Formats: sequence, structure tokens, C-alpha cells
Amino acid sequence: MTGIVIILPLILAFASLALNSRVVNRLALMSAAVLFVVVPICRWYGLDWELGLGGFLSYFRFDDIGLFFFFIMGLVFAGVAVYSLSYFRMHNLKATEESVFVAELLAFTVAMAGVILSTNLALLWVFVEATTLTSALLIYFEKRKSSLEATWKYIYICSVGIALAFVGIILLSIGSESVGSLFFSDLYEHASQVNPVWLKLAFAFLFVGLGTKIGLAPIHAWLPDAHSEAPSPVSALLSGTLLNSAFLGLLRVQELVIRAGEEKFSNFILILTGFLSLLVSAVYMLRVKNYKRMLAYSSVENMGIMILAVGLGPVGLFAAMLQALAHSLSKTSLFLTSGNILHEYGTKKIESVTGLLKRDSVTGWIWIASFLSIVGIPPFPIFISKFFIIRAFWFDGQGWLAALFFLFIIVVTFGMGSAVFKMVFGESSLESADASKPGLSAYIPQIALLVMLLIIGINMPQQLHDMLEKAALFLSAGSGGGVLGR
Amino acid sequence: MMTEILIIILGTTMLYVFSVSRLESYVKALSAQGFILFLLVLFGISRMTWLNVAFLVFETLIVKAIVIPYFLLTVIRKSETSREIEPYLSQFYSLLIATAIFAFGFIAAFWVRTTGSHIRPLYFGISIAMIILSLFLIVNRKRILTHILAYMMLENGIFLLSLSVANELPMLVNIGVLLDLFVAIYLFAIFFNKINEIFDGSHVDALTELKD
Repeated sequence: MTGIVIILPLILAFASLALNSRVVNRLALMSAAVLFVVVPICRWYGLDWELGLGGFLSYFRFDDIGLFFFFIMGLVFAGVAVYSLSYFRMHNLKATEESVFVAELLAFTVAMAGVILSTNLALLWVFVEATTLTSALLIYFEKRKSSLEATWKYIYICSVGIALAFVGIILLSIGSESVGSLFFSDLYEHASQVNPVWLKLAFAFLFVGLGTKIGLAPIHAWLPDAHSEAPSPVSALLSGTLLNSAFLGLLRVQELVIRAGEEKFSNFILILTGFLSLLVSAVYMLRVKNYKRMLAYSSVENMGIMILAVGLGPVGLFAAMLQALAHSLSKTSLFLTSGNILHEYGTKKIESVTGLLKRDSVTGWIWIASFLSIVGIPPFPIFISKFFIIRAFWFDGQGWLAALFFLFIIVVTFGMGSAVFKMVFGESSLESADASKPGLSAYIPQIALLVMLLIIGINMPQQLHDMLEKAALFLSAGSGGGVLGR
Repeated sequence: MMTEILIIILGTTMLYVFSVSRLESYVKALSAQGFILFLLVLFGISRMTWLNVAFLVFETLIVKAIVIPYFLLTVIRKSETSREIEPYLSQFYSLLIATAIFAFGFIAAFWVRTTGSHIRPLYFGISIAMIILSLFLIVNRKRILTHILAYMMLENGIFLLSLSVANELPMLVNIGVLLDLFVAIYLFAIFFNKINEIFDGSHVDALTELKD
């Protein structure tokens, strides 16, 4: 099945490019969505088959944590695919433009699937770089002057960052000469043979490279630009899955560091960068004037929280996984909804949008609910993950860090909340409701995602809990297991 | 002995870049780097499989020494803006700092000898110097084209670093890396042309529409 999720979407992408028909485009999107949702579920229940691809397949594999991140990607992609149908209509795209959009979207998603499934560090690098290249054209899709600037910054900053990650890979292969392979399984097995000096150097470079893609401060400069200028479905995909897949790459490196017994060094870097990201997002959240940029800074915040949780060691891992899931679903819902707002008001300025509830009550309520979810108001699951992180700090005997963490998330909540509530209440800034409303498919994905989030938050299904716990075990296994979600 | 001389020449092409001011000279330096890397690959031929040699010859001689420089040269000739590079720091101080970084490369080479790793010290030291010099070039230049050229030099530095290591990467990975590089340069050129068209001039200073 690992072969299928790489190859079939590529075939679909070529088909929609070649046939140039609206029906084929929609079919390609929907079948890819079904594929990406069904495959991880089948894998989870042990259903599996392989294409006869021989050696090719040793480079791709579903492991527990990869399965979990693929599962998130599938859900986000399905939401984005359904929403795209409305996006096509809202922007009156020509059939050729639709085909290009669908093909690029699929190629981008395949690149991310490659990152998630790679069993070799260098191959993972290839796919991370491929995500940059395939998404660049999507960010420039609306062809404005500002989106050109955003695309340039994105492609250049990420390429340089990823080039530095490759330096890290070479340094690692210097330090792991006796292992003689960059397959994760070999590296993990012989972690004790890796020279610690080279490992630390390699980690630093890999952290800078992957951190650029994750959007960690201070190397997040591309993120608000790209997220605000991309079409809304693409923003959702960037925030909901691209950041996650780079994060998974970093987790795989962190696992090696843990197994080599050098996690003190990496944990310090992770926690420091996590707090820096929180600080940056808290500061910008108070002054940001564009609601899509606001959502982007919220991504910086959430990725910071995840990195922080990983840096806390075994106690933080369950929280990091839950945060990854909940952030992706909530942020997808937010970015898709921002597409509706942009369509109805024609502006990204927070101050020009008022009375959303009067203008389009469904969008307004979704906007509020997604906001409550992303900042972690119970019963939404981010409340649980944030609570676990604060508790983990407490366990670690670092109460003052817990207080600092709490302070930052309060500031972010306040900044985001004041913008969101300003937008939904009051009189609508547009007099008549003559502009066309977005179609049904512009509401369904968000509602479905929010319902899922509520279910996870109120009573998490046992299967999902197991999946989360298995994913979290990936990292702590090296350090002899740990406290998980108790 | 020959390889040592080649590597030092490779390092000095970076210093050359800091001492000239026309974009064409940058492209020439880039092409020369590609050619020297090709010679270095030839010197190391006995340690590799033929498939890998064929691949590396293609990558260095065809792609790095000919195709990409030629491609960038056409882009430069097409854009009718002035061809002078514009540094933030004056040329004299840039060259001074660049020389210091170059010297640091030799220190790194000495350091790596003491660690007892099986890598060739001079390859390592000069490649580290090239990487840092390219990053310095990026932050010290305003022209977007210079950024593209500096990115290529960064890639050359990384290529030299990968030559210093005994382990070979799997072929699939090599192909992927080259493909990524190729597409990256292609996209850079597309977007460069677009920026040239739409913004006034091609300075990073012009890219200030998006901020908080």
C-alpha cells in the first residue's frame, strides 16, 4: 500500500493535466482524498497489500508514527479537496487553471507523503525539498504582486534552510561512518556507535534546516507571507500538513539523538526555540492587521508548543501528538473559513470585517468555534494537550517555565480573540447580501472537522487513543518508556 | 598533491567573487567551480562504482559547469537592469571578512584532523569555508540574481563536503538531490523574471509589501 499512495496520486495529477476536463479534475481530487483517508485506516486495522515494486519499497514504510501523521494528512487533504470545489466556483477558474491547481495540489501532497514515509534520512531530505518546489507554484496561484513576493521569500528561504539540513546529513554520515548507512533503522540500531561531537553538529544543522520548514522562530520569516498569500485551501494544507511533515522529520532525528544518549543537548535547543516561537507569535498576535497572517502566527505558536513538548521528553510526547492532530484539524478549519470571509468581504484586513454573524451566520459560527478550538477552550482537545504540557513542566520541577508558558498562551488567546470577536459581531460592513455566498462544500469540511475535534475532546475513541499512544512511544522507546497520557 | 591545489583554487574562486563587481564574473566563477569539482571527481574515481562516476560526471561537468551557468547568463542578459552587484558592506571590508572566513576554513581542516575521523581534512575545511562564504554573500548583497548565484555556490560547497565523506549515498537519493537542485534553479529563474517584470528593479529592498 505504500507504493499506491505515492504512485496513484501522481497518475491522477498527470491525468488532470493531460485531459483538462472539469469532471476529471473533480474525480481526481475526490479519489485522492478517499485514498489518503482510507489507506491509513486500512493499515491501522492490519489490511495491507503491496505492489510488486521490489527494491523501491525498502525506501518507504508505514511505521507507527508515520501512520499517525499520514492519518492527519489524509483528513486535512480530504477537507481541502472538498473545499476546493467551492474555491473553483468562487474564483470562476477556467478548466485549465483547475487542472493546474489539482495537479500541483496532488504533487505537493505526494511530496509530503514521501517525507512521512521515507525510511532513509537523505531521501527524507529530497522530499522535504520537493515540498518546497511543488508548493511554490501553488502559493503564486493567484498571481498578485504580493503573492509573488511571498513565493520568492518562501522558495528562497526554504531552499537555503534545506541546503543547510543537507550539511547536517553529511556531518551525520561523517559521525556514523561505522554504521555506513543513512537508513533510520540502521542508525537507530547502531546509535551508540555514532560519534557524539558530529552528532551534535549534525543535529544543529538539521534543526536549522527542518526548523525553517516547521516555521520555528527566528527562522519563520517566510511563513506568515506564504500562508496569507496562498489560496485558502493551500494555506490550510501548508499549515495543517506541511509543517507537520517537517516536524516528523525532526522527530526522527531527535529519536537518533535520544538513542545516542545526547538528548540533554537537543532538548535544550528544542525548549529554547519553542519558547522563542511562543514569544514571537505572542508579540505579533497583538499587532497583526491581517486575519490570514494572524492564523499564520498562530501556526508558529502551535509548532512552538509541539517542539517544546518534545523537548520535555517522554512526559510531553503524548501532548505533542495530540497537539499535532488537534492543531492540524482546527487550523485547516480556520484557513478554509478565512477563504469564505475573503470571498464575502474581499479584504484580508481585520478592521474592514465586521458583522460576520449577520452577513453569513454559518461562517461566523464556524469561525468562532474554530477559534475556541485552536486556543484550547474545553471541551476542545488542545485544552488537554496544553494542560498536559503544563503538568509536564510541573513534573520536571520547572514551575516558573509553566507560568511563562501560561502567560504566552494567554496573550495569544487574547490577541486572537479580540480580532475574532471584532470580526463576528456588530453590523455588517457590507450593506446588502448580494454577493454570491460560497457553496455548500465551503461549509461541510469545517463542520466535519469541528465535530471530529469535539468527539476527540469529549470522549476520545479508544482506537484513536491507541494510535496516539503508539505514535508517542516512537520517541520514548529509546529512553526506556515513560509516562504517557496518564 | 594535485587535488590539494585544485581545492585551494576552488576556495580562491570564492575570494574572487568578493573582489569583482560584475555579475558575469560571478557566473564565470560558478562555472569554474563546477569544472574543478568535475576534476576532483575524476581524481577520486578509483573509489567509486562506475554508475556513480557517470552520475557525478554528469552532475558536475554538464549541470554545474555548463547548463546552469549558461542558463543564468541568459537570464542576466535578458534582464536589462544594471549588471553591477550592490553590496551592503563596502568591497574592501567584505573582502577582508571573506579572507578571514577562508582562513577559518584552514583552521577547521586542522581541527578535523585531530578528531581522527576518516575524512580528508582539506576537503572538509574548504567546503565549510565555501558554505559560510556563500551565506555571507547572501546577506551582503541586494540583487536577487546574486542571491541565486550565491545559492549555487552554497550547493557547490555542500557538494565538496559530500566528496570528503567515504560513504556513498544510494543512487535514488543522488538522483533526487540533483532533480531538486535543477527544479530549484529553474523556479528561481522563473520567479526572478517575474519579479523583474512586476517590481521596479530586482532588489530585495523592493520586496517590502508584506510585513506586520
